[in-house]
Amino acid sequence: MLEIKDLKASTGDTPILNGVSLSVKAGEVHAIMGPNGSGKSTLAQVIAGHDDYAVTGGSVEYKGRDLLELEPEERARDGIFLGFQYPVEIPGVNNAYLLKAALNAKRKHHGLDEIDAFEFLKLAKEKMVLLGMDPKFLNRGVNEGFSGGEKKRNEILQMAMLEPDLAILDETDSGLDIDALKAVAHGINSLRSPDRAIVLVTHYQRLLDYVEPDVVHVLSAGRILRSGDKSLALELEEKGYDWVKEAANA
Amino acid sequence: MSVLALPDKALRTAVRELPENALAANRQAALARFLERGFPTTRLEDWKYTDLTSIADISQRWLESGAPTATAASVSGRVEEIRAVVGIDWIVIGNGAIVDGTHIAGSEGLSIATFSELKHAPGYEHPLADLNAALLPDGLHIHVHAHSHHDRPLGLLFVDGADSQPGVTQTRVFIELDEGSQAQFVEYHASIGEADHYANSVVELSLAKGASADYVRIQARDGGHTQTHRTAISLQASSTIRYSGFDLGGRLVRNDLDIDIGGKEATVLVGGLYIAGDGQHIDNHVRIDHRVGPARSEQEFRGILGGRCRCVWNGKAIVQPGADGTDAEQSNHNLLLSERAEIDAKPELEIYADEVKCSHGTTVGQIDDAALFYLRSRGLDKQDAMRALTRAFGASIVSHSPIAAVADHLTEIVERRLTALTEDSDA
Repeated sequence: MLEIKDLKASTGDTPILNGVSLSVKAGEVHAIMGPNGSGKSTLAQVIAGHDDYAVTGGSVEYKGRDLLELEPEERARDGIFLGFQYPVEIPGVNNAYLLKAALNAKRKHHGLDEIDAFEFLKLAKEKMVLLGMDPKFLNRGVNEGFSGGEKKRNEILQMAMLEPDLAILDETDSGLDIDALKAVAHGINSLRSPDRAIVLVTHYQRLLDYVEPDVVHVLSAGRILRSGDKSLALELEEKGYDWVKEAANA
Repeated sequence: MSVLALPDKALRTAVRELPENALAANRQAALARFLERGFPTTRLEDWKYTDLTSIADISQRWLESGAPTATAASVSGRVEEIRAVVGIDWIVIGNGAIVDGTHIAGSEGLSIATFSELKHAPGYEHPLADLNAALLPDGLHIHVHAHSHHDRPLGLLFVDGADSQPGVTQTRVFIELDEGSQAQFVEYHASIGEADHYANSVVELSLAKGASADYVRIQARDGGHTQTHRTAISLQASSTIRYSGFDLGGRLVRNDLDIDIGGKEATVLVGGLYIAGDGQHIDNHVRIDHRVGPARSEQEFRGILGGRCRCVWNGKAIVQPGADGTDAEQSNHNLLLSERAEIDAKPELEIYADEVKCSHGTTVGQIDDAALFYLRSRGLDKQDAMRALTRAFGASIVSHSPIAAVADHLTEIVERRLTALTEDSDA
């Protein structure tokens, strides 16, 4: 589904990704771990199409197409979803409006009619119950005045509504208390399917107790240093990131 | 003194040729004053950003072509369009002539008459009000009787325009709300046609003790047209005005809103939204004079600017000696969609009393890139995302507009304007 080859990217004059290669297949859950400043968030943002980052080398193929030539909205409509580390507050743009506009943009892309208002509400409320969200959040400004946990649940709500083919969740677990973490993990697990790939970008192993990854990668200084199964995450938790760096340098 | 004068002889002739009625003597007095002062020029502090040269030019060409009066019939198409979408009682003033709606005068608690019928002499305390009084065919007097409550808004629809010759229209309305009365008004300015046009209007509202008015002013003139507009509102004790102004069209637009608080416990809530695109100049001057306290005034203006345009906001609150207990707030926020858009924002507070609470705040910003990317990452295309963000910026003014009957129409025309603006914008 996603084939990244030797990807290099920078912001301004600062190189951040220095040759990342990664292959994610449908049905898989990957975890990308790494210390602060390793380039995890940049990788997520580049896949989503943020123009703060310039791609200076390598390639990204998504469903067999060159992803890098697509606008962010085209990527979204074709099934890519980025769960933001810091979801943006947008006062005055109603949550329901965004969910509906996003859903309809995707439906239009797939040649479907706009969702009927009743259907939409039913679907949104159903997903909100699943995530333990109060339906009144629908009528609030996007993330406006939401707590950290509410913002992250709202990201998962958007993902649950949009049913992406490839979800990249950037530090979705950070700042969550245990109840919120469980609710978010439940939301992610309910989307696991043979047709869908999920990439979890995370600093800690904590989320992986609830969402079990198939593959774990360690990113450091803009390169993937090591990949392994879920036991790698546990090993990292125990030994710290320096151990991987040393092993890679050896 | 003034460099922006109009030719004496032609102006005198135009005044002389107006319909003969009770306003004749008053016109001559106003004419004499205007001839002395001419149009305000940019040398005056209050006018330094707003150059009326093009308006003087339209007026001059209009006088030279014999001061033609386009018929009210020539704008009937636009009138019908607006009637069809906003279902309230309208008084129609087409090209300066009161053409329709005075039948509403029959309503209980409400009297509508012309200035000439009542021998009401319009005041003139400003050059533009002088010009208005000098060239005014007739004015409209609306009287809301004491303790009468009117839930159905009364609309004032000003439509101007002609296709061939330059046009100038003068309109004037005096609204008197007696003690304890309540009413709602929608003032709508529109125009059509290819020829240059200048509309100069004056609206006065007088609120007696305990009276309350909700007021929405919509200015949706065609791109090439110009206007100067003065609104003077005076409030007695415990009266309330909720006023929202929307400027969506016009090439050169200047609005002056003068509010005089002359009674205790009066409340003034003013909202304003201006949306300007390429080639537009929209200037809003608001002056709130707290002569008596305690009383409260609040004004919030928001602007959305795209292309090469200029907007001006000057909010002034004056707290006179002894007006203790005054609470005056003013704010102005602007969203610039283009690097060539310019806003001149000038908040002013003049405080001569001790026990007051006054504040002001002004901001100028651009579309938040992080918010734009967030919306695009959810599948909204760039135009839709821009429109959602600009709409959100103006939403507080639109949603606080006090008259429900025009809410849908307002939302729609604001949306249409934003669509045009975000499509043009390369921001």
